[in-house]
Amino acid sequence: MDTNYETIIIGGGVLGSSIAYHLSDCKKDRILVLDQKFPLAGTSGSTQAWIWVHNKTPSWYAEFNMYSAELFPYLAKKIGDVEYKQTGGLSPFFNEADREKALQLAKAYKEIGIKIKVLSREEALEKEPSLNPNVAGATYSSIDGNVNPFRLVDRYMRAAKKNGVQYSTFNKVTEIQKLHDKFIVVSEKGTFVCKNLILAGGTWSRELGKLVDINIPVNQVRGQILVTEPLKPFLNYTISGVRQTFNGEVLIGYSMEKEGFNRATTLDLIQETANMAVHYIPGLRKAKVVRAFSGIRAMPEDGLPILGSIPGIDRLYVAATHSGMTLSPLIGTLMSELILDGETSVPIDRYSISRFDSLVR
Amino acid sequence: MDKTTIICRCEEISYEEIEDVISIGARRFDDVKRLTRCGMGPCQSKICSSLVAEIIHDKTGLPFPEIPLPRMRMPISPIKIGTLTTNSTTFSSVKSVLDEVELEDGKVK
Repeated sequence: MDTNYETIIIGGGVLGSSIAYHLSDCKKDRILVLDQKFPLAGTSGSTQAWIWVHNKTPSWYAEFNMYSAELFPYLAKKIGDVEYKQTGGLSPFFNEADREKALQLAKAYKEIGIKIKVLSREEALEKEPSLNPNVAGATYSSIDGNVNPFRLVDRYMRAAKKNGVQYSTFNKVTEIQKLHDKFIVVSEKGTFVCKNLILAGGTWSRELGKLVDINIPVNQVRGQILVTEPLKPFLNYTISGVRQTFNGEVLIGYSMEKEGFNRATTLDLIQETANMAVHYIPGLRKAKVVRAFSGIRAMPEDGLPILGSIPGIDRLYVAATHSGMTLSPLIGTLMSELILDGETSVPIDRYSISRFDSLVR
Repeated sequence: MDKTTIICRCEEISYEEIEDVISIGARRFDDVKRLTRCGMGPCQSKICSSLVAEIIHDKTGLPFPEIPLPRMRMPISPIKIGTLTTNSTTFSSVKSVLDEVELEDGKVK
């Protein structure tokens, strides 16, 4: 295996693999992806993978998500079918207090060009007849959808490899040194040298940051999800909390727990999630659950992506975010632009790591 | 086993598909599962896990003790959602998306 690279990306999840693909698509120039396990073994492989825009806040962050969601049809043409479906997204609410929130949301987003409709009870039930008849209403946007996360990462990885990108998996990085204009990356399977280094470690970003004495404030949030047996297609939309896959399984869950890297599934959360399932869609009561799974998600301290160069260390970059599935096409594109041209077509200054006070450890 | 042998009966995944993902680096049952759907069906890998371990062993030479077992998860055998539900109407960690939208002076932040 070569030891000398132009660019090394640490992390082969949806973000690392998207950056590898987009970068290699612009310039085929000795790129290596290092992964401590195997792509999809972590966060990217344990998600419902909504492509979600319409109720993210603040509005400029929703706008950023919208640009990324819009890239999916084009992306699928380039890397192959990723089972992307722009179903439209529906967020039901069950009390009148939420309607005021929903109306304010629709008003704020109209200004940036994201169309959100606030549906009445009747309109919501007409769109999604299987919803609980006690629903008060729902917010709706046509921009949302979902993707098959396994297909997406697999396609990014295969397309990147086709462009000459190398992957070294089950290979944890243990040490990083900066020598003049080069990085020395020491891993379990050998030592590599590169000019550009990208940290795309997701939930492990904090640990990666420690290797270069930089504080990357990303925390872990656990989400537990139920998977049903395949059912005939009956859900028309991606509902925030419930969605149906191409092969008919229904994925259910919208939970957030601070449990570090503990990936256990727990009975109390499984029961709560089952309660949510029948609260949203009473007909699911009769569906069988085949599996519960849990995923550890990356959650930057303020919830917003951390993207771009790291001040003080030339040619060191970071990409760490929540919502990696939705944002991967855009972040892959922008990080490639940043590395090759030094500037991005969509501004990412707001997402710079320099917004945090405690940059140096 | 030949190329067309069905390894995962639930999802109808053939030997050839397993072989393909091992060739791109999969080394554990769960890696194979995520890339092919092998073991994602109703039996949750009870039928195919040892066959897949055998193929990984044959293709890579990894000794069996170094090929981890698939991660088993609740409920082990499929059960109805209605069996899991409780009478509780409050949610602790399960949220709705609008819960995360915060208003400031009556406006979205």
